[in-house]
Amino acid sequence: MANLEIRSVSKGFKTGKVLDRISLTAENGEIVTVFGPSGSGKTLLLRLVAGVEQPDEGTILLGGRDVTDRAPEARGVGMAFQNFALFPHMSAFDNVASALTAQNAPRDVIRAKVEKVAALLKIGHVLQHAPRELSNGQKQRTALARALVAEPKILLLDDPLRNVDAKLRYEMRLELPSLLKASGSTVLYVTQDYKEAMALGDRIAVLSDRDFAHIAQPAEIYRKPATINVASLFGDPTINLISVEPLASPAGPKIGIGGTLLSLPPGYAHMAGRTCVLGLRAEDIAVEDETSPESFPVEVLAVTPLNERTLLLLRTDDGGEILASEAGANEAPRRHGPAFARFGSRAVLLFESASGRRIAPQAA
Amino acid sequence: MEHMSIAERVVRGALIVLVVIFFLFPIFWIFLMSFQTNEEILRIPPGLFFTPTLTNYSALITGKLVTVSGTLDIAFMKNLWNSVLLSTASVAIALLLGVPAAYAFARFKFRLGEDIAFTLLSFRFAPPLLVLLPLSLYFQQLGLTDTYVGLIWVYQLIALPLILWIVRGYFEDLSPDIEYAYRVAGHSWWRTFTRIAIPLAGPGIAAAGLLAFIFCWNNFVFALILASAEKQPVTVGALAFVTASGIQYGQIAAAIVLSVAPTLALALYAQRYLVEGLSLGALKG
Amino acid sequence: MSEVALSIKGVDKIYEGRGKGPVHAVKNLNMDVQRGEIVALLGSSGCGKTSTLRMIAGFEEVTRGDIVLEGRRVNQMPPARRRVAMAFEGYSLYPPLTVRDNVAFALKSARMTAKDVQRSVAEVAHILEIEAILDRYPTSISGGEQQRASLARALVRQADLYLLDEPMGQLEPRLRAVLRGRLKSLLVDRRMTSIFVTHDQTEANALADRIAVMEGGVLQQFASQKDLRERPSNLFVATFVGEPPMNVFEARVCNGDRVRFAIDNGPNLDFAAPDVPSKVRNAIGGQEKVVIGVRPHAVRLGVGPGNGRVVSNQWLGDQSHLAMEVAGKLMVAVTHAPIPARVGDNMQFGVSASDLHVFDVNTAVAISHGLEAA
Repeated sequence: MANLEIRSVSKGFKTGKVLDRISLTAENGEIVTVFGPSGSGKTLLLRLVAGVEQPDEGTILLGGRDVTDRAPEARGVGMAFQNFALFPHMSAFDNVASALTAQNAPRDVIRAKVEKVAALLKIGHVLQHAPRELSNGQKQRTALARALVAEPKILLLDDPLRNVDAKLRYEMRLELPSLLKASGSTVLYVTQDYKEAMALGDRIAVLSDRDFAHIAQPAEIYRKPATINVASLFGDPTINLISVEPLASPAGPKIGIGGTLLSLPPGYAHMAGRTCVLGLRAEDIAVEDETSPESFPVEVLAVTPLNERTLLLLRTDDGGEILASEAGANEAPRRHGPAFARFGSRAVLLFESASGRRIAPQAA
Repeated sequence: MEHMSIAERVVRGALIVLVVIFFLFPIFWIFLMSFQTNEEILRIPPGLFFTPTLTNYSALITGKLVTVSGTLDIAFMKNLWNSVLLSTASVAIALLLGVPAAYAFARFKFRLGEDIAFTLLSFRFAPPLLVLLPLSLYFQQLGLTDTYVGLIWVYQLIALPLILWIVRGYFEDLSPDIEYAYRVAGHSWWRTFTRIAIPLAGPGIAAAGLLAFIFCWNNFVFALILASAEKQPVTVGALAFVTASGIQYGQIAAAIVLSVAPTLALALYAQRYLVEGLSLGALKG
Repeated sequence: MSEVALSIKGVDKIYEGRGKGPVHAVKNLNMDVQRGEIVALLGSSGCGKTSTLRMIAGFEEVTRGDIVLEGRRVNQMPPARRRVAMAFEGYSLYPPLTVRDNVAFALKSARMTAKDVQRSVAEVAHILEIEAILDRYPTSISGGEQQRASLARALVRQADLYLLDEPMGQLEPRLRAVLRGRLKSLLVDRRMTSIFVTHDQTEANALADRIAVMEGGVLQQFASQKDLRERPSNLFVATFVGEPPMNVFEARVCNGDRVRFAIDNGPNLDFAAPDVPSKVRNAIGGQEKVVIGVRPHAVRLGVGPGNGRVVSNQWLGDQSHLAMEVAGKLMVAVTHAPIPARVGDNMQFGVSASDLHVFDVNTAVAISHGLEAA
């Protein structure tokens, strides 16, 4: 039995529908990251599960029971908000303890639980301070502690790392998975950062255009994205998208880039004649000085560093711009000018233009 | 600010001094008058130097005014007490009714909500004289004329809209997320209202209450029409100094000083309170 | 041929605190920016970068020192007279004007014909991809679009210096890579001297010729991205620059046939003496304890003198981040292929001499980078 179930839930406002009959299940102890661009309704989804908002249609089940009409205080979930939402007039200790005082637990039990969670999140030494005296990182951990302290079966985390500086965010990204797994809760984790989604989630639910576009494990979403939209949401820099129309040929299906014919894997032969979009990730494009089979001419326009990779802006013969990335920060920066680009057959992602859906290669 | 020249600074300072003198002068003069006898007050030209006397104050406090034509009873202390009673009770009731109402307006978006809120505010716009005549007729029918209850009820017209609008603003400024967090933690909406919303809007509620108190205290027209001498506040009571044997300017001045003192003190105290403000350090940044 | 466009000489900024005591936000800052150079002020919040930018703009008074812009001392000059174009957070668009009029407004004082003004506006709008919203009003566009419009308004002007406060902070992630490229081309083509403030290293790396790393009001290092990464002048810069941050450990040094760095509570890293030049060994001198650092990308996995327990293994599509527990801390290694390791496994690792950075344990100043003395 799934621990969390969202069934055909819709929610709209005067400006229009934000979520349209979406469904999602999460198993006991699973971490599901809800990922999508800003405004896609991720926070709204969490609020619907928490009971702070009511759906227009659909049901929400927690632990197998229908809670759609239940008030938030009766749902037994823990929630951490994006902007922390700590109570300014209470100490950090009281903030964390608020999830336990509602149950009228005895004081020593409360103290023990609060201190345990505080030690886990390394805020034990600031528990007596008021929120305004805490650093951003400490506030974020206090908000997390408050969500965790009552050991809820369902944990809702609304982009908890968003308002924290980059170093701390990275550190928490490394520590959070084991922390969340240890809590045993089923977790819905909202984020706008695809790396965070991939790092933390057992599965990722990609929310875009009022519905889940793809729900799967991180590796599958990255390698076999269901739609063009999903493909472009994962990967830095964004995936290259080139309009092509495959041609049938005795040597298998071919596509043209800037006047050069290149082979497609045979599994795409059935797409000949249809307008498609070819997706190539920057890291799968090799740039060389010499031509080779299956390479096409390009002009290197710009070379910029990106983290520990080098990004090359290329222009094809028909004027299109694509990005290639090479590992390592280049010692001898590549000169601008003519070069050749090549990609392997495993890198090919083909999407149907009209629907945006990915075409699965057919077995021979 | 850093780029003003000396000349600009001097002119700015001089203008500020002039404005301050313009506004504070009447109060200063009245303060002086309260320590002068009638003869000194009416002297022409008016002099700044005189021997101060406390007879005006003692007359007010003892309730007896010794004049040339005899001794008069002055009910000033009773009036002062009426002012305190009416203003305090009115504000207390207005807070009791207004704060939850303000919360409802701020949090629960219901149809016509904005219209209802504006209607309530509009009561402040209408000149009191407009409603007084019909109101006094109703009061007579209901037997509410010359009762504290009746006056306190009418004073709600002054206090309630004020509290509603000010406190609603403070509730709206509170991030709803803080209240959601408390509810998700397991607390009912009532506990959230009393433990989270009210404490956090506290400065606003106090400020609104103080402001409402001052407005109630200063009200003249309602008490004039709807109350008798026994229930009158100081605003109306000051009329008693216009006696058959002449206008006792000295006592009026002293009465004014005593009437203004409480609200002035409250306003100064509240100013500090308001400046403290809300420190919503619980939100990011 | 380049000359100095902006010179900051011995500048301090002290804010008089209200009840909390004075805040020394900027301490003895000395910086020269060449004409046509793009400089990033990089640091975490509170490091003094925004105060510095505001002093250059004229919104804050300089407590001590001088700011010299194109040869003129501008300390007392109000912002409007400094010939500086700004895109500041909070320096928002005028609500009653359309985006187009907002951008064009910036050119009011320039003697340009209406046709030329429209042409400049169109150009900058194309670069920042706001052509579609030119006739909309500021309240009806998204935060990212507002930011681009605000940028356009600053960039369309002719000024001696362009000051940008977190220029890309609000932008949708998909747009950032492309817009960065275009913005950089614009700044370079027109030789616009610019200074921008950011806490995002990727942005600093992509746009700036030189980066000024600040912390606690003090300028830590002012150098190119390459130098900051390969030759950080102190431990702060070393751990601040680079994502993920450099792995650092305290270690004891034993000089002999082999140069050994014995990490406290951790493994020993040995290097053959010839691999470590005498200059470096001299620089380390008689110190017993040092701080060593190695970048995550330089950690060689699978073989080596060191080992640690795997704490997390995250595959991010084009790279793998592996965290191991070493000497009581987390050590991160990054590779460009997935690593078949599970949480709890034991993983070996090694470091080559050319990737090792050494810092003084007391002063945190760099002693050597790889095979060269700092």
